[in-house]
Amino acid sequence: MSAIIQATNIHRRFGEGALETHVLKGIDFSADEGEFVAIMGKSGAGKSTLMYQLSILDEPSEGTVLIGDTEISSFSEQDRTSFRLNTLGYIFQNYALVPDLSAAENVMLPLLMRGNSWAEALENAQKVIDSVGMEGKYNNLPAELSGGEQQRISVARAIAGKPKILFADEPTANLDSVSGQQVIDLMTKLNSDYGQTIIMVTHEREYAMGCNRIIHLEDGLVVHEERLRE
Amino acid sequence: MHILRIGLLLGWRQIQRANKWTTLLIISVMMLTFLNLIAVSGILVGLITGAEIAVREEALGDLILSEKSGEDHILETETIRRELAAYPEIQAYSVRFNGGGVLEANYKERRNLAAERDTASVQVTGIDPALEDSMSNLSTYIIDGEYLDPNEEGYILIGYYYLEEFAQQFGDIFDTVSGVSAGDTVRLTVGNVSKEFKVKGIVQSKVDQVSLNTYIPEREFRRLFGRLDRNADQIVIHMNENGSETELKNIFIENGFDDFAKIQTYDEGKPKFITDIKNTFNTLGTFIGSIGIVVASITIFIIIFINAISRRQQIGILKGIGIDRRAIEIAYVLQAAVYALIGSGLGALLTYGFLIGYFEANPIKFPFSDGILVAPPEETFIRFVVLFAVTLIAGFLPAWLIVKQNTLNSILGRK
Ligand SMILES: Nc1ncnc2c1ncn2[C@@H]1O[C@H](COP(=O)(O)OP(=O)(O)O)[C@@H](O)[C@H]1O
Ligand SMILES: [Mg+2]
Repeated sequence: MSAIIQATNIHRRFGEGALETHVLKGIDFSADEGEFVAIMGKSGAGKSTLMYQLSILDEPSEGTVLIGDTEISSFSEQDRTSFRLNTLGYIFQNYALVPDLSAAENVMLPLLMRGNSWAEALENAQKVIDSVGMEGKYNNLPAELSGGEQQRISVARAIAGKPKILFADEPTANLDSVSGQQVIDLMTKLNSDYGQTIIMVTHEREYAMGCNRIIHLEDGLVVHEERLRE
Repeated sequence: MHILRIGLLLGWRQIQRANKWTTLLIISVMMLTFLNLIAVSGILVGLITGAEIAVREEALGDLILSEKSGEDHILETETIRRELAAYPEIQAYSVRFNGGGVLEANYKERRNLAAERDTASVQVTGIDPALEDSMSNLSTYIIDGEYLDPNEEGYILIGYYYLEEFAQQFGDIFDTVSGVSAGDTVRLTVGNVSKEFKVKGIVQSKVDQVSLNTYIPEREFRRLFGRLDRNADQIVIHMNENGSETELKNIFIENGFDDFAKIQTYDEGKPKFITDIKNTFNTLGTFIGSIGIVVASITIFIIIFINAISRRQQIGILKGIGIDRRAIEIAYVLQAAVYALIGSGLGALLTYGFLIGYFEANPIKFPFSDGILVAPPEETFIRFVVLFAVTLIAGFLPAWLIVKQNTLNSILGRK
């Protein structure tokens, strides 16, 4: 299996001089195609910060990120945006749906952005919404959905464009345990049925049990790696 | 193309879901701005246009013949007069004789010969009462007494600016006689010839040429002023069709009338200061309107800014999932555009559907004119385009400021 993402010697510092904080202190990370990797660690360990570097929402102070064969560091802002659109999917802790758009329109956004026609995008979006177990909720506004339902729409939006890698930063943090488990099950199924590569931050070990591998982060360094299954 | 579509989708949904009252408020601001832009200069210009129309209707007409420079009067007046009857495009005309005289009133009651005499230097116009009335509707401006009867002699019409009781409202600027009303006897002196007239009527108009004037029949004028050659000072013509005066002017020139008289269309002959004031007022109105545009653009800027800043995280997430920043900017520009369009549309509807008609029916009463609202569609359109463009920029700027912020910072609500 070949690595779909490879990060080498990642450092991230904030601030300057006496105020400088060194959050990531030289992290090497890689994931294979089709892998489901969980990143765990205490609050403040640097999990989110690492996730932002891997998902090219942020730029490391030092080190390189390679996604597929593409070296990201030379990218312009515009390049990054279109790379994120075409290659990566995101699930945020707070669902992050556009409140004025219906569920279907939220899912359609990245598809339209890729140049799909309205009809294509709508058809696709409805299929994906069906696949996350939200049949018939196409026209609901986010405010009309529960947190768990919104997060599932958010998963639908992230996977509608068939991203190479799906990133999720504590997708269950705002959910009750039942809804949280539903979202985790959904991701596990995506991984097992479609070979979706997933990198997920969580601090509940229970939610990480369906993963291939768990990376433990402490104070900006990888301290331990567990392989649960091949 | 798809960027535009996403922008329109995001923008349109925001408009649809926006608070109704806020939307109403913004649209009202835009409408008032539009009205401010159109109506302020429209009314300022309308004051002058009102005066201009009145001068054209009541005094100068569409085509004006006057003495050539170097001559005292129009030459061959009788020839021209005969010709005029042959042109069907002429609706009405009047041949006028002008001169100056001294009007004296209350001389019969004057007991003390040492007291000051009640006199005023006046403009005297000799007219054919019927022709003049058909040309200028002079008879409709009589406020006291009656219009001249063509078959009577020894009667005079006096413009009300010459009457102290009326002229007082304008301050002490006119030379007046006092206590004169229809039926009184006055004396008109020209050089060393004097003639008594009975005041037939008092004429009131906002046009100086009418109110600062006295009228007597042409025959008596010629006798009084010793104008035996029958050559007149002014021939004014109303056309049947607006704008056809230029053609008639050319025909007159072909016929050689320009050897006898100076021929001017109204636009050429109207006093230059009218045009100057009009341009000044127009500039003034545009200036005032521009302040309105600045206020409106600041309003739009703030509205869009608040709108965008309150969605900063959402904007960050959109960029995070790969939506082009231009699409997000378009969403906000669209909102500004819709507000401007609806606001201006309502403003235009109000202006053309109501205000213009209203002011035509109920002109603003000014001492020197009846002001109307003038809003030529081309000029309105240009101003609308300016307003629209400024609004788009005012909508774009804040969106751009916020959309360009670092994506991750926006998502995390940092800084
Ligand atoms: N922009 C920043 N400026 C300064 N410090 C930051 C910034 N972002 C994160 N940090 C710090 O980095 C550390 C790790 O943060 P984060 O990656 O969010 O932790 P985790 O997600 O593991 O809880 C925290 O101590 C946090 O205060
Ligand atoms: Mg975190």
